[in-house]
Amino acid sequence: MSDSEEHHFESKADAGASKTYPQQAGTIRKNGYIVIKNRPCKVVEVSTSKTGKHGHAKCHFVGIDIFNGKKLEDIVPSSHNCDVPHVDRTDYQLIDISEDGFVSLLTESGNTKDDLKLPADETLNAQIKNGFGEEGKDMILTVMSAMGEEQICAVKEIGGKS
Amino acid sequence: MQGFPGGAPDPQQLQATMLAIEQACSLIQVHMNPSEAEKVISSLHSSLMPYQACRFILETSHVPNARFQAAGAIGDAAVREWGILSDDNKRSLIAYCLNYVMEHASSPEGYVQAKVSAVAARLLKRGWVDFPDQEKSAIFFEVEHSIRGIHGPNRQFAAINFVEALVSEFSPATASAMGLPKEFHEQCEWTLEVKFMKDFYCWAQAAVFNAADSILSGNASIDEEKACSAAFRLMFQILSWSFKYNVEHANSETKIDSGLRSDAINLKKFERSLVKPGSMWSDILISSGHTTWVLNFYTTARQKYSYDPLWFDSPIAASCRQLIVQLCSLAGSVFPNDSGDAHINHLMHILSAVVLWIEPPDVIASSIRNGASESEFLDGCHALLSIASFTTSLLFDNLLKSIRHYGTINLLSALTSEAVKSFVDNQNEEETWGSDALDISLEIWNVILGDFDADKSPMSVDGAIAASNLFKIIVESHLKAAADSAFEDTDDAEYFHVSVSKRDEQLALYAQIARSAADTTIPFLAQLFSERFARLSQTNGENDPTQTLEELYWLLLITSHVLTDSGEGETLLIPEALQAGFPNVVEVAQHPVVTLSWSIINFSRQCLDPGIRARYFSPRLMEAVIWFLARWVATYLVPLDVSRGQVSRAEIDNVDKHGFQHSRKVLNSFAWENNQGELVLDFVVLISMVALTTYQGENELQTLICQKLLATVVRRKHTCTFIVQLDSWRDLTRAFASGRSLFSLSGRLQRSLAETLACAASCIKDPEASVQYLKDLMGPVAGCLVENASRSDLKSVAQKADVVFMVCCLLERLRGAARATQPRTQKVLFEMGHTVMNSLLTLLEVYKNQSAVIYMILKFVVDFVDGQAVFLDSNETSVLVNFCLRLLQIYSSHNIGKVMLSLSSSLRNELQAEKYKDLRALLRLLTNICSKDLVGFLSDSSIEGSQDIAEVIYVGLDIVTPLISLDLLKYPKLSRDYFALVSHLLEVYPEKVANLNNDAFARIIGSLEFGLCNQDSDVVERCLTAVNALASYHFKERLGGRGGLSSQLMESEGSNGTLQESISSHFLRLMLQLLLFEDFRMELAGSAADALLPLLLCEHGLYQGLVQELLEKQQNPTVKSRLAMAFHNLTNSNNLSSLLDRPNRQRFRKNLRAFLGDISGFMQIK
Repeated sequence: MSDSEEHHFESKADAGASKTYPQQAGTIRKNGYIVIKNRPCKVVEVSTSKTGKHGHAKCHFVGIDIFNGKKLEDIVPSSHNCDVPHVDRTDYQLIDISEDGFVSLLTESGNTKDDLKLPADETLNAQIKNGFGEEGKDMILTVMSAMGEEQICAVKEIGGKS
Repeated sequence: MQGFPGGAPDPQQLQATMLAIEQACSLIQVHMNPSEAEKVISSLHSSLMPYQACRFILETSHVPNARFQAAGAIGDAAVREWGILSDDNKRSLIAYCLNYVMEHASSPEGYVQAKVSAVAARLLKRGWVDFPDQEKSAIFFEVEHSIRGIHGPNRQFAAINFVEALVSEFSPATASAMGLPKEFHEQCEWTLEVKFMKDFYCWAQAAVFNAADSILSGNASIDEEKACSAAFRLMFQILSWSFKYNVEHANSETKIDSGLRSDAINLKKFERSLVKPGSMWSDILISSGHTTWVLNFYTTARQKYSYDPLWFDSPIAASCRQLIVQLCSLAGSVFPNDSGDAHINHLMHILSAVVLWIEPPDVIASSIRNGASESEFLDGCHALLSIASFTTSLLFDNLLKSIRHYGTINLLSALTSEAVKSFVDNQNEEETWGSDALDISLEIWNVILGDFDADKSPMSVDGAIAASNLFKIIVESHLKAAADSAFEDTDDAEYFHVSVSKRDEQLALYAQIARSAADTTIPFLAQLFSERFARLSQTNGENDPTQTLEELYWLLLITSHVLTDSGEGETLLIPEALQAGFPNVVEVAQHPVVTLSWSIINFSRQCLDPGIRARYFSPRLMEAVIWFLARWVATYLVPLDVSRGQVSRAEIDNVDKHGFQHSRKVLNSFAWENNQGELVLDFVVLISMVALTTYQGENELQTLICQKLLATVVRRKHTCTFIVQLDSWRDLTRAFASGRSLFSLSGRLQRSLAETLACAASCIKDPEASVQYLKDLMGPVAGCLVENASRSDLKSVAQKADVVFMVCCLLERLRGAARATQPRTQKVLFEMGHTVMNSLLTLLEVYKNQSAVIYMILKFVVDFVDGQAVFLDSNETSVLVNFCLRLLQIYSSHNIGKVMLSLSSSLRNELQAEKYKDLRALLRLLTNICSKDLVGFLSDSSIEGSQDIAEVIYVGLDIVTPLISLDLLKYPKLSRDYFALVSHLLEVYPEKVANLNNDAFARIIGSLEFGLCNQDSDVVERCLTAVNALASYHFKERLGGRGGLSSQLMESEGSNGTLQESISSHFLRLMLQLLLFEDFRMELAGSAADALLPLLLCEHGLYQGLVQELLEKQQNPTVKSRLAMAFHNLTNSNNLSSLLDRPNRQRFRKNLRAFLGDISGFMQIK
């Protein structure tokens, strides 16, 4: 099975690795990620067309910016490469909410991470605040990061014991 | 008016009501505050005795909408209050409505008149059974007089309208609801058909007859014409009635010999069915010369008005033609029981008149193109179609020969060519007359050529020439269109696949025409190909080949259809028409099918040359080539034993006198001769490799390779055994297992490619070699996944897009291989799965936030369990079950109680959709595990394992049920999966249910209730099975003196408020409700009986009580006694015992069927 050498992941864990990765447009599917106009997007629609009946296929992507929800579109020849963002989601335990809306999160290594704000949406905001502040529940926040941006994207309450 | 219901009217109040209604009507029209306005109107409909007010509105209001509503209110109120109206009241309401339409016959608001007519018809039907016959005759006496035209054309029109309304009210499909049992409606239908229908027809006939002269002389008033066309419409409507109470002749031999088909085809495609009014109608429709009269009338009128192009679309012309087309469909005992002469005569008469509408097709088509009306032409096509459906192709052709020097097929051919030309010219527009005419005329060809007795009456020589000429025109028109459209952009939009299947349907019909004259059309196709091949090889890069490419594309499609049938999944045979079509060909090299096949394949071979490929093998051309190859290989690489003739030798020798057989044999064996078959298969693998690696990103093309071409070759054992021995195949598998090049395929294609490649293992004869093949193929894939999942830096690299992509690819490949599990390959594949189990759990943990990866892991496990479950022994089972348990635990620890936040609603919807897909995958997984247990009882050693399985399933159910809401169950796919699981579960582990906690139990029972009322009969059936399982368990436990499910109580709404009761009584109530009062589907009767029987046995006392209660509620003594009888028979006939054994269940099934049949007449209400 020496041949399987070739299947090794190419990415290295070193810092400063690129924030995106090239992938052939034809293999990007609905629900995958793609960079359109330098924004990380989730693909919500893919359709293909041809330039002249005997030309090559092109992919038409409709993406939604994963941070601000804006709709973006792009057309790429399907054999060409597109940039695909590295989208990472990390869970942190919530340890504090400051008055100005910043949260304090506990990282795996035991340090705190204090540079994130509560989500802008009022109801979601309230959900976290009430759950944490008034009901005193232990909460895990999931933080999504891509291309240098970060945002809280999910909450989960963990019952009783932490 | 005497007897009009309602007290003495108070003028002021009447005025006020009218104003209110008028205002509401005008508000609705301008769409202001419609809900308020509707409330006002519906209050009139539901108020007590509104007749005086309605009458006042009808007579005085100037707002037609208000009059319309008032009429409707009379109908609704009278049907509702029928019981409290006196006989006088009823009669006077009907008389009032009838008088109203007669008196206001000239009113311009036709819809108000129609509504009042409809109300009169509705009330007449309501009282149909109660009114004595003389009263009905009195009403019809008046109506008849009016229809015959004694009171002038306006009243004539009104009366015809009334009869039209009456006929549609009495026809079951269009009847309005009256809250009466089905039997009532059936009785009305019967009396109308037997006693009145023919009279109605005669009246309409008389009306037309009287008006004919003045219409033909051009002196008719507008009103007369209107009445006349209404009469035609009424005749048409009567002939559209589905006649039930008639006696048919037995089919006689002589009739078949005459050329009429014994199996008249129902033309469902164009919503037409046979008209069989029975022998009673013979005199007025056939022997009186009625048809001839109608035809002459139309022919004379069209001649007279030929100066006026608008006349052809006038109501009178349209309705008359409609009647003529309907007369074409007459069949059965309305014709005398002779040898079919009368019927043939009838058809010939019609054809001789109709032929004027469609002949000469080219002249008519060009005048339509210049703006003339197309409706007459289209009606003519319809008539021709009806005629074709009754006749064999020989008789069809001969019908015209008595009046022309050519046959009907000739005419049809000319007509179809015009339709094709017009269709091709306007391909981008929708709903053109050309496409309509083409649809109909292709259907006619389909009817004549698809005749099963074609052997007995082969196509005549002229017929074949006509078909051949038509095919040439079809091909030429389409080639021209192809060349013209070659530069257009194509959009692969949503409707793309729909239009492709529509196109394929059309091509298949063209192909049928081509095959009927194969000896000329196949050489013609070969010639067209060679012209284009030559043109391409001359281009040398100077001229743009695009137009030629598009022509070739179309030619490849049509040729595939001509040479092969589509038959998905079936064993394809060489089309019979081609086998029989070349009786004189002896030499293989001269057989047109052979030469055509090889010329196309040899041309395709050139795509292996990179230079030529770059010059003219565009992705689209490749698609057509691949598609052609797949169909050709499936059809012409006939299994060797068949093609070498061992099997059919005897048969062939027997009938050799025809001289056909040699050419048959040639066609069945040419593909394998001189190693050609092996070469073609080698080429198939090479072209696949080329298309997969050099046509990057061409998904359509690559899908065809993976899912059509390779799948076809591997699915057939005789081609697969050859292909696995080829060097090229070995290269392909090696490239897949350890090269990088095939990673550029999209995920779905990786999966189908893996499946196809793994499937081929079962065709390797030597078992060890087969195992080795699979190990070489999938070992590296599994190894790579394991190796990478155990990397120390996994956490930090896992989320990188390229790593995610790679993991997804590997998972797709594993899943593809898992789907290819077969008895011979199961062991190896289980080991493959076994090696990756731990890695999958690691990945599940690492990728908990990458829903795409999670979903793929779940799907792999679903398919893996599905493929493996039946084969595993107890050790393997426990390995698998433990793995599934841990998988479920990890999944639930990540997902329960998680709330996703997102700014964008569409992203949030996407997230929900992903969860929904996960849920379905989990349900499937649980069902698949469950199925293991069903076969598990075969071996003793599985007892230990089966406890494990029960545990997994209940853990799984604990995860899944809280996530499933009744809202989610409205999604059909999810609800099917869910109910499949629940019914499975209750059947296998009813004892577990007894131990469930209250919440979980209530959730399951609640969903069962929901499912029982579902629309989807699959779901209902599963729920019935589940109820059966529960109740049977309960019954058996109680029989054994144990508690069964008695501890589980349900809240249920009984007759006296909410009460707690056992689930068996709960479901008994529910089932009776369902069977008696809902529209219960007969096909579910079997499962309903199975569910009901144990419930009856468990809760006998309650059942008796419920039946008693039901009977007491019935007011009507006959209904009461019939219902009591039905209930008695349900439990007492057929020696029903109180056991749950098979024979007893069978008996109860019979009883319940009889019961449902019995009560449906009077319990179901419309």
